[in-house]
Amino acid sequence: MFTYYLQLGFHSLKRNPLLTALMIFGIALGIGTSMTSLSVFYLMGSDPIPWKSDKLHAVQLDNWSKEEPYRTPNEPPDQVTYLEAKALMEAGKADLQAAMYKVVWPLQPDNAEIKPFSSLGRATFKDFFAMFEPPFKYGNPWDAAQDNEHARVTVVSSALNEKLFGGQDSTGKKVRLNEIEYTIVGVLDKWQPRVKYYDLTNGAFNDSEEYYVPFTTAIELQTRPSGNNSCWESSKPGWDGYLASDCVWIQFWVQLNSQAREDEYMAFLNNYVNEQKKLGRFARPLNNRLPDVNEWIEAQGVVSGDAQIQVGLSFAFLIVCLVNTIGLLLAKFMRKSSEIGLRRALGATRGQLFTQHLVEAGVIGISGGLIGLVLTWLGLMAVRGLYADLYNVARLDWVMVLTAIGLSITAAVLAGLFPTWKACQITPAVQLKTQ
Amino acid sequence: MEIRPILSALMRSKVALVLIGLQIALTLAIVCNALFIVSQRLQLMSRDSGMNEADTFTIGSLGFGAGFNIKTSIEEDMAMLRSLPGVAAAAPTNTVPLSNGGWSTGVSLKPEQKTSTASSAMYFVDEQGLDTFGAKLAEGRFFTADEITFREPGDNSWPPVTVITRALANKLFPGESAVGKQLYFDNEGAPQTVVGVVERMQVPWIGFASDEGPDAEFYSSFVPQRVAFGNFGRYLVRAEPGRRDEVMKAAEAKMTQTNQSRIVREPRTLERIRAEGYQEHRAMTIILIGVIVALLAVTALGIVGMASFWVTQRTKQIGTRRALGATRSSILRYFMTENFLITSLGLALGIVLTYGLNYWLMANYEAQRLPLIYLGGGMIALLLLGQAAVFGPATRASRVPPAVATRSV
Amino acid sequence: MLKMNHLSKVYRTHLIETHALRDFSIHVREGEFVAVTGPSGSGKTTFLNIAGLLEEFSGGEFWVDGVDVRGMNDDQRSRLRNEKIGFIFQGFNLIPDLNLFDNVDVPLRYRGFSAADRKRRIEETLSRVGLASRMKHYPAELSGGQQQRVAIARALAGSPRLLLADEPTGNLDSLMARGVMELLEEINRQGTTIIMVTHDPELAARAQRNVHVIDGQVTDFDAEPQLRVPAGNDAAVALA
Repeated sequence: MFTYYLQLGFHSLKRNPLLTALMIFGIALGIGTSMTSLSVFYLMGSDPIPWKSDKLHAVQLDNWSKEEPYRTPNEPPDQVTYLEAKALMEAGKADLQAAMYKVVWPLQPDNAEIKPFSSLGRATFKDFFAMFEPPFKYGNPWDAAQDNEHARVTVVSSALNEKLFGGQDSTGKKVRLNEIEYTIVGVLDKWQPRVKYYDLTNGAFNDSEEYYVPFTTAIELQTRPSGNNSCWESSKPGWDGYLASDCVWIQFWVQLNSQAREDEYMAFLNNYVNEQKKLGRFARPLNNRLPDVNEWIEAQGVVSGDAQIQVGLSFAFLIVCLVNTIGLLLAKFMRKSSEIGLRRALGATRGQLFTQHLVEAGVIGISGGLIGLVLTWLGLMAVRGLYADLYNVARLDWVMVLTAIGLSITAAVLAGLFPTWKACQITPAVQLKTQ
Repeated sequence: MEIRPILSALMRSKVALVLIGLQIALTLAIVCNALFIVSQRLQLMSRDSGMNEADTFTIGSLGFGAGFNIKTSIEEDMAMLRSLPGVAAAAPTNTVPLSNGGWSTGVSLKPEQKTSTASSAMYFVDEQGLDTFGAKLAEGRFFTADEITFREPGDNSWPPVTVITRALANKLFPGESAVGKQLYFDNEGAPQTVVGVVERMQVPWIGFASDEGPDAEFYSSFVPQRVAFGNFGRYLVRAEPGRRDEVMKAAEAKMTQTNQSRIVREPRTLERIRAEGYQEHRAMTIILIGVIVALLAVTALGIVGMASFWVTQRTKQIGTRRALGATRSSILRYFMTENFLITSLGLALGIVLTYGLNYWLMANYEAQRLPLIYLGGGMIALLLLGQAAVFGPATRASRVPPAVATRSV
Repeated sequence: MLKMNHLSKVYRTHLIETHALRDFSIHVREGEFVAVTGPSGSGKTTFLNIAGLLEEFSGGEFWVDGVDVRGMNDDQRSRLRNEKIGFIFQGFNLIPDLNLFDNVDVPLRYRGFSAADRKRRIEETLSRVGLASRMKHYPAELSGGQQQRVAIARALAGSPRLLLADEPTGNLDSLMARGVMELLEEINRQGTTIIMVTHDPELAARAQRNVHVIDGQVTDFDAEPQLRVPAGNDAAVALA
């Protein structure tokens, strides 16, 4: 019976090819637009590390000026000072913890064929790798002793390893950064979080680093941050003056494995700040925060207002397309009312006619959905062209493909349901009598 | 003409009326608000940065290691760039407008002032800075060569003179000339004397200090210092008109050649910096225009589709009307009037939706109230669109021969 | 009232040429009640369409109420139709989305009467067919006979000189048909010329004059009682 309905559906659609095209095109355009914006929106805001996002917390301490908050209404800074980074690392109260900052160094390859280039790195602690779980291809992270000794060691990305060593196991080899040689202890596999959530301050959609070095080493080498540096008062002259200042330029992350540990850590932070208050620092009221990954992404406004507006408008657009299709289907089915009346007279039940027309609507919906999926893909390509830094989020993942298919079928069935119901209200007698 | 009977006939098919009306209403709401956003973005992007963007580019270098002497490197590069054929002017700078990176500080009028009076972007340049940026001096003078110093790393003091933009001058010293006045870049340090005012210079960040007023994006100060960040130095070069690309290549080649212990960063034209700076807004504009066009197309095609159906459905009726004496043009008018009524009803609902959407945008995204002109324009546009869309089917209706009336079935 | 001289009508498709009417002459005088009969495909409906100015004719002469119809454009014919001719269709052709009042109003709108005039005429004609009390009803709420009465009211509202009826009782049972017939006769008695196409000999017998159409040619029993043998042997296309 279903194939009979399908046949009837196709036959009916073929009789009005333009109209059929119009309905399919409408649904496809609506699906394409809304799925494009939804994909970007979803991937921007979605959990980049779902298995442990609730355990990873950014540390925010409010060391800002007594006179005004870092950001209105009363937001603490999104980074911490060197003083706090050092103190919190030394205390080591969290299950895992890592201070970190962005560095840009010239990289001078031994291979003369490769010209020196400026390269993006991150100075951090060994726990960075355990917390954010980049996959290792060769070797391991450095260890605590190397953190303490300011060791000249590094973990390089797979892309850098490819570039410098042709993708071989390069552990034990050296890489020269800003005239200093570092020994490679680990090589990462491909790793590119969609959202660079551990350093949103310096660009949520930036590429991941080419190498990682111990934080202590970068400090010893007096490496100033290449990322954002914010001060509410001028620091004292010189490198030591800078380290002792209230300028914030370090991202600090901790891993806390349970709610109890989180409470303990918050108590520790509050205690720490209260001690500092006695020393004349931290003039503002206690305002420490431990947002987890998703709270952090939300608080830092990773999903831009524009992306949200686009989702809103594109779904309104989808509604227009659906209303359009409902209207056209309705008109079409009503025009067939004499045929429906005849079929009823010949013994079709209301249910059978309902199914028949729903199948026809479904054919339109599914075709529209499939074309819409292609349009979504094209739309995402266009988004990548328009927003250079959305490369990692303007893509289709399986969740979105399934959502798109689900959405288009739901949309089509919804669009088909009412006209079908309406058509099946036709009583056979009336239709046969007139005309 | 015959509005009441058309209306009462329409009321007999309420569902179709509701569907088309809803479609028109939503279209109006989306189109008006999207167009408003587009026009605001276009306005934002069309603002003059105050500098010469056509002939300028930036170029920078990153030296290797602790042994690299950035101070002499800057001096050598400046000498080389200024002597390069086709260069009209060149100056070291820490940043340029719209580059989305730079230095800002609070400006106070009194020492020990608790909160600063205004935020300002800082441009560190030498005596050729004004000429290189292509900025226009409004009052006073620019820096002299003997005022220029080198800002040592870790030095947090400020030189004694500065040049500020007119926007900042108006904010700090409303109603009077800023030249000769004193201000504080560091409220615990020595004051700076304003020696000149430039007409206009945008800050590096779009949307900078928006809580300080709409002009805050033009609160900029020039500082008579050469500055380096670690081993990184950056220069702005203004080429003679039409020679930018050629000069850019030459400058890159020469810099690479003169000092081997560094990386020369790829030069970037101000045009490219502007395009990247406004990328988000440009993208939003394009996307919204796409949505508007698609929406209007869908709505117009929808009207064509529905109207065609109605014409086919009412062929007999049209024939009867013709038999009863209707002329072709009165049939045409019937369908045009019918569409006019449907569109008008949709637009009435659309006004509510338009302002509802506008309210949502205002509540969540710092949007502004939609000016009435957009609503009026949108309504007229949709009425015309509806009339244009229905014209084809209506013409077809008017061609229905009256003899249809006597045809059985 | 209506005069056709040697009228012909040819339908052309790219394959065949069909003579629906040939050398068709008829003269209907003022106040007559003429029944046009004939088998299916004989050209009755074509005659009616041309008489009602719904279709153009290919050759010959044609006057309606003394007005020469040849060479008139579509708009002129529409206006003439609107002023002088009333129509009654087999399928009633009421507009289902309009109530009775508005249905009767349709030709009056095109005529350009004032609102008060229209209202008076609508009420008058609806009461004449006995449906004044149901003015706000929609066609679907009426029986077939009542619908045809509305259609008659609509045809009469503009005070036409000539009423054309196409199988006016074709869709009605005999009781309703008789009612409609009586109404038409009543209208005719009050001075309106009526031409009625029918295939029902019983109805035709009630008219003053019978015209028989066979193969596109007229056989006027009253004027020319002898039967003419149709010349030629054209493909008869169902035109009824």
